[in-house]
Amino acid sequence: MSGLDTTPIGEPTLPRERRFQAPRRMFAAIEGVFDEDRFFLILSVFIGIFSGLAVVCFRLAIDWTHLALLGSLPQAHHWRIFAVPALAGLAVAILVIHVFPAIRGSGVNQTKAALYIFNGYIPFRTAIGKFVCCALAIGSGHSLGPEDPSLQIGASLASALGRQLQLSREKLRLMAPVGAAAGLAAAFNAPISAVLFVIEEVIGRWSAGILGSVVLSAVSSVVIVRGFLGSEPLFRIPITTFKRPAELLAYGALGIVGGVAAVLFAKAIGMLRPRLKALPRWTQYFQPAIAGLLIGLIGYLGAPQIMGAGYDFMDQAMHGQFTWQMLAMLAVLKIVATTLSFASGTPGGMFAPTLFIGAMLGGAVGGVEHIFFPQLSGSTGTYVLVGMGVLFAGFLRAPLTSVFMVLEVSGNYEIIVPVIVANTFAYLVSRSLQPTPIFDLLTRQDGLVLPSLEEEREETILRVEDAMQPSPAVILSAADYIDAAARRAQNSSQAIFPVRMQPSGWNTISRDLLDRLLQEGKGEHTLASVISAQTLPCLYPDLPLDAALRYVNQFPLVPVVNRADSRRLEGTISRDAVFTRYQKRESQ
Amino acid sequence: MANDIVIGDMLWRISKLVPRSAPAVLVVLLVAAMAAFAAVSHLVTRFTLNQQARARKLYARGLADQNAGDLNAAVDDFRAALTGDPSNSQYQLALGRALRDTGDPRRLEEAKAYLQDLWQRAPEDGTINLALARVAARRGSIEDAFRYYHNAMYGVWNSDSEANRRKARLELIEFLLQKDARVAAQPELMALVTTLPPNPELHLQAARLFEQDQDYANALSQYEQILRTDRGNSQAMAGAGEAAFHLGKYRTAEEYLRMAVSASQEDANSRRLLDSASLILSTDPFIRRISDAERNRRIKDAWITAGERLRACAQAVNGGTQGSTAQSLSTQRSSTPQSANTPPAPDSLNALEAELDEMKADIPRLRSSAETDLPDAIMDLVFNIEQQTAAECGDPQGADLALLLTSRNRDAADQ
Repeated sequence: MSGLDTTPIGEPTLPRERRFQAPRRMFAAIEGVFDEDRFFLILSVFIGIFSGLAVVCFRLAIDWTHLALLGSLPQAHHWRIFAVPALAGLAVAILVIHVFPAIRGSGVNQTKAALYIFNGYIPFRTAIGKFVCCALAIGSGHSLGPEDPSLQIGASLASALGRQLQLSREKLRLMAPVGAAAGLAAAFNAPISAVLFVIEEVIGRWSAGILGSVVLSAVSSVVIVRGFLGSEPLFRIPITTFKRPAELLAYGALGIVGGVAAVLFAKAIGMLRPRLKALPRWTQYFQPAIAGLLIGLIGYLGAPQIMGAGYDFMDQAMHGQFTWQMLAMLAVLKIVATTLSFASGTPGGMFAPTLFIGAMLGGAVGGVEHIFFPQLSGSTGTYVLVGMGVLFAGFLRAPLTSVFMVLEVSGNYEIIVPVIVANTFAYLVSRSLQPTPIFDLLTRQDGLVLPSLEEEREETILRVEDAMQPSPAVILSAADYIDAAARRAQNSSQAIFPVRMQPSGWNTISRDLLDRLLQEGKGEHTLASVISAQTLPCLYPDLPLDAALRYVNQFPLVPVVNRADSRRLEGTISRDAVFTRYQKRESQ
Repeated sequence: MANDIVIGDMLWRISKLVPRSAPAVLVVLLVAAMAAFAAVSHLVTRFTLNQQARARKLYARGLADQNAGDLNAAVDDFRAALTGDPSNSQYQLALGRALRDTGDPRRLEEAKAYLQDLWQRAPEDGTINLALARVAARRGSIEDAFRYYHNAMYGVWNSDSEANRRKARLELIEFLLQKDARVAAQPELMALVTTLPPNPELHLQAARLFEQDQDYANALSQYEQILRTDRGNSQAMAGAGEAAFHLGKYRTAEEYLRMAVSASQEDANSRRLLDSASLILSTDPFIRRISDAERNRRIKDAWITAGERLRACAQAVNGGTQGSTAQSLSTQRSSTPQSANTPPAPDSLNALEAELDEMKADIPRLRSSAETDLPDAIMDLVFNIEQQTAAECGDPQGADLALLLTSRNRDAADQ
């Protein structure tokens, strides 16, 4: 455990030493078992436990706030619906401006920034601020969700713990994503989706060490949450069916509509947020309050369903409680309400609103499709579930997570094909209409430059075959005599010739060296006797071009061989060819 | 920023107290986790208790709303109660039932989801199965209703299991009959009567279900069983009379119906059936214990009645008569596949008319005892005329109806 100081704090007196000799020996033996990697894995379990406990408290706080401020069942046309979000917005604004300035936004970008910019540092105060302000905002009816704040609370707790334990910088950086996975898993009650989201959107790479820690923390936090709050899923899933492959067209259409809606949602936030931020500072006191007032007005006038996270109403939509017109209206109003809440700087998450919009949109599209094609077998519940995944893929641009999230939430693998089809359409539509994902857009608006994991994912990787020159006409063998080799070389324009070594491997010989050896009268010697027996490193055509950089400075010509038969030369690669290829891509 | 420094300083001071070796750190973390766990447990317990208390109040209010007939308010209350205590089966069951009973088809799916959730936890529970069966019945799903009603019949009930099982079977039979699934209903009815206690009300209910199933023999048997123990049961008398009437046992029917009418003067249906039964008994020439002269008189009357009916009907079919006869004719045509597929019947009516004219000369020979086949031949023609005219011109009234019914139950009339 390199990051920890293992020396005792004080030098004990002799009697004490005798008294604690046995425990100390035991501790020393145990300590020998822990290196930093193992310790980090165990620590991940504790991060999961603490995050899980924090999320349990966070959910209680939201429920309590909701009950205290809005009552058990918010009804339209009640004054509290109208007034509470505005007043809570004012309180949140004061807290954010004066006490917790770093808690604006959803929390995903902040966690990513901690990983890439601040060496894993997230102030503990952020966890407290996020907890208090989000509980107040969501509980009072602002159109935001508890998942992203839970993610940041988990990350913040993990970061604080890592700092206290003085972990190495490398491990400290990873603490935030590990805590984030725990927080998200606890909030969603879905460990696989949380792990995938953190890998897909925050860390951006897979490795056994990271994956182990992230999985352990996510699972332990879910165990804690289920222990306290029960293992019931977020929704009561109705029977979902997928009978005829032709129905995939209907789900494809849902994907396209969802993709367009995701773009509209992202563009609305992307446009309104910088404009509100650019307003004078004093207006920031009132922005969440005005947003709350407008949301309250929507609720007061007849759509209280759009207030808060809205899971109960997603559940009702899943069971065909609303007509398609109502579902469509709720989707539109939720986009408006969430845009207002989020752009006004009210802290809270976008996961739940995204699922809500997707659910309502899915139900509405399903309803319309059933009017025109009554023979479709998918129930409203199926479309609602698929719709959730669609918007998740289109808006949050996490296609893999979106598929697993639907599967994990529904516990039904029968709809995997519709989900994949619809999500793919949504992702492609969203990507083509808005190349910058929402999280990257928000990061850039905040003046940070974080790696875009989607761009990295989608980037075209140059491979050795892209810069490789075809196999040369003259290939020599180590068994060739020098005079014969020189004769063959005379008829070629090559300056360097690859030499096939015995029994395997490759080397090279230059035209100059061949001529010199001939002049020295070594024509009767074989090439094997004059060139080094040590063979050159070989490359394969499918390797990334970066791999060639390690050798092209050292060797003028690097052989590129076939993976199935290393004696077969596919081509050669040189430093000039590599650089030319890189320059060509940059100019494109 | 100053606050940050204070918190940071505090945490730093605390951290200095913590030993830094890995095992010691883990022990400290374990203790901290246990302490946090205990604290959160306490919080959750208190919160849960508060929520449960609130949920109980909402549940009680929901029950009151339900009793007052305000099912939408009851749904809201039960739903709110369930958010306070999500694992409470009682609230979930109440919500499922209330959603089902709102009459809104869209809410049936939700009701089913709540109840199925409960069913997964206790698939043997009779109450839950009965609730699910009723949802299936509302949705018109025979397969699901059959399954859940059967589960309820053989499931576990907390109290009064026999009565509840019987209730489930009765509901299933009613549902199946309503869906015209008579083949499926019959074995259920037979199973029902074998388990019925000696309770006139239950036998009466079973007999009515047999009647609904058009199983008049078993219906009559059930009514008679009631009358053996409760001789003055006017409903059983009327039912027995009606069942016997449908079976064509007009003499039995007449007896029961007469008793029913004398027991309950306002029973118009029994009175109507009694009149019909009496008319049949007074016009049927094949009835036993009548003289040859009386038999011949009845045959002659029947021949005259049928002839008039045939001529009136043929006139109506040929367009001579407009109005109700034509309407009833068209109704009859559309309702019988035969008339839908074959050309209008004037030809057959004309043929019958010709046959009737041809037989006219044989009528005086009825007195002759040598003509043993003649009464049957005449009555065959009479019955044929009544059936054809009923098919073409609709059901007749009075003596024609009596003849038609006699033709349908030729052998049983005298029973």
